[in-house]
Amino acid sequence: MHQPGETPGNGDGGLPTKAWDGTTAPAEPPPLEAIGLGRRFGTRWVLWGLDFSAPAGQCVAIIGANGSGKTTLLRCLAGLLRPHAGQVRWFGHLAGKVELRGRMGFVGHESGLYAQLSVLENLRFAARMYGVSDPAGRAEQLAAQAGLAAYAHCRVAQLSQGMRQRAALARALVHSPRVVLWDEPFVGLDTQATDWLAGQLEALRRRGCTLCFSTHELHRAWQLADRVLALSAGRLQPASPPDASPHQEGAGVPQATSPPQGLVKRLAAAGCRVAGRAA
Amino acid sequence: MAGYSRVATVGLVHLLAGALALAAVIAIFFVAPTEKTMGPVQKILYLHAAVAWFALGACLLMGVAALGYLATRRPAWDHWSCAAAETGWLAATLTLITGSLWAHAAWNTWWTWDPRLTTVFLLWALYSAGLLIRQTVPDAERAARLSAVLALVALVDLPLIFLATRWFRGMHPVAPAMPPVMRAVLGLAAAGFGIVFLLLLVERRAQLAAAHRLDRLEWETSDGEPDRGLCRSLGRNRVVCGAPGGAPTPAPAAH
Amino acid sequence: MRKLVCLVTKDLVSEWRMPRLWPAMALVGLVVAASLTLPLEVLPEQKRQLGPALLWVAILLAAMLAVERSFASEREEGAWEAVRMYPVGMGTVYLAKLLSNALAVAGLEALLFPLFSALTDLPVAAHPGGLVAVAVLGNLAITSLGTLLGALVLGLRHLPGASALLVLPAGVPVVLAAAEATRLAAEPLLAQAFWRWVQYLGVFAAVFIAAGIVLVDFAVEE
Repeated sequence: MHQPGETPGNGDGGLPTKAWDGTTAPAEPPPLEAIGLGRRFGTRWVLWGLDFSAPAGQCVAIIGANGSGKTTLLRCLAGLLRPHAGQVRWFGHLAGKVELRGRMGFVGHESGLYAQLSVLENLRFAARMYGVSDPAGRAEQLAAQAGLAAYAHCRVAQLSQGMRQRAALARALVHSPRVVLWDEPFVGLDTQATDWLAGQLEALRRRGCTLCFSTHELHRAWQLADRVLALSAGRLQPASPPDASPHQEGAGVPQATSPPQGLVKRLAAAGCRVAGRAA
Repeated sequence: MAGYSRVATVGLVHLLAGALALAAVIAIFFVAPTEKTMGPVQKILYLHAAVAWFALGACLLMGVAALGYLATRRPAWDHWSCAAAETGWLAATLTLITGSLWAHAAWNTWWTWDPRLTTVFLLWALYSAGLLIRQTVPDAERAARLSAVLALVALVDLPLIFLATRWFRGMHPVAPAMPPVMRAVLGLAAAGFGIVFLLLLVERRAQLAAAHRLDRLEWETSDGEPDRGLCRSLGRNRVVCGAPGGAPTPAPAAH
Repeated sequence: MRKLVCLVTKDLVSEWRMPRLWPAMALVGLVVAASLTLPLEVLPEQKRQLGPALLWVAILLAAMLAVERSFASEREEGAWEAVRMYPVGMGTVYLAKLLSNALAVAGLEALLFPLFSALTDLPVAAHPGGLVAVAVLGNLAITSLGTLLGALVLGLRHLPGASALLVLPAGVPVVLAAAEATRLAAEPLLAQAFWRWVQYLGVFAAVFIAAGIVLVDFAVEE
């Protein structure tokens, strides 16, 4: 969607055009970073002590069971949820700063579009809000690239789920962000739409955009991402490829083990009273 | 020993406050002269004025504490704001009831939309809304934040309400002329009853702080997933978490 | 400024294409006007005295609908998340919502002022300039307070009637001031007190616009 060399309206200087090769040492702070991130709902900690870093141009997939906190994590990384512990950083600065939002794109479960406005009107609105220099031209270009040229003047309320996903992606990319966060992009799509979306994510990855998305589809994750992380017990851990594990069901997701006695003994030796467990 | 002297000090303060309130009651009934038009019913004024001033003062404290909470997000500020809201609500309720009793004796009506009474009623309504927010919003931090915003709205609104009522003509006496004895008893009543309400506020804040400490212990010692179950509080704001098979690594302080 | 205009335009176009708020506000205003003025038929001398107060009560009650919809309308299709990701401060979003609400209330006033004039024999043409000043400042006072409380109501899904609980007690001073100013504007001569009430409405609006810009971030945070 973003043409190499094209300067986005926010004067950011354009996206890097080389995908991350895993060997380049970062010259600047990572575009996306979480340090000791914690977030609770009531008394239940959904995320706790979570550390995460995505270098520029990397594509990270996050997998996990239902209720493991994938949506919470992505929303914290997008600056939409305030951490209760730790920090989220964008390009070395605290997440959420108004000046840095022009570098970030986020697509949640819903499309983020206004139902009574047409596709073009939504894209023009988003382009204006991001300060893109030619909002109308950019909106038309994105609508065409998303395969929505024939529906550009249709109201979003009249579009199918697949088309809304396309329009949602177009809206998230209108300002050529350097980082795109996407919560379960493949949900509710048919095969054709899924393949199209996978192609778009691959194109973004090749153009150097830092991507982070959550998904249940393990094969898609391994197919598209440079790194696959599993969210379990509030923390991220590297996931193993589905073929490497003898257990296909839940493959890639580390299973919680029974209480690690080694740590219990160390805590007890340090003088901590560990309730309910004899050291 | 330090704990004993703290308990003794608190007990002494409570006793002194009680003594002052008792002195105020005695002064009201035996020292203050009986007003010749209204008779003994006029003496409700001493309680009414005291609780009315406390209701207004509590609103100010609630707003200042709310500002502190939004600026720092430290729960201690919210405890003060919540305690001020609850005791302020109680004081406003008593103001309306005692005002109504006084109004019936003075104006032969239980209620009138007199500007001063209207002001206190609106303040009571805002207090009630704030308390309802705390009751109904399940997430404590969200409830604290939303209550804080409402408290600041109330704080900003209060002078505007007061100004409007000053300009409205009303039946409520505005700083009526009083003989010196009555003024002195009014001052004593304001001090006595005011200190009782202040102690109520302070004790309620202490209760809220203790409840918060219990909640924190519950979070930090929860027996959910094994990793979370191993986090223990080792200090005021430090939590140490350990990974299985690795050395414990400190996590950033929880808010 | 461009982003502010963009946000306001978006709200107006959305409402124009699928009118939900404006017809509801108009209907509530009309029904309240009818309900409150009907009993006045037996009090012909008091009609003119009571008219302004009833008018502003009707405006406040109808404006509550706009207050509820202010930020709640963004929740459809997850548009609220998109707005929070735009490089625009929440203060600008608040001002945009304020302007959208003010335009809706202005339409309501255009409907209700002549209606109340007819129902209560209130001579609105006595001092049209003064009346417009009251209408504008009263509008801004109600909407500045209401828009901030509408942001608060966004987080109060569990509390039924939250907007009424918050807006009514906080908005009563505006009703008092606007009613007094309207009553005085209908007199043959504009008294000094009229300008005092108009200034009061201006101060109220200014204070709550400032408070709204500062506090809206805290109200909508998650």
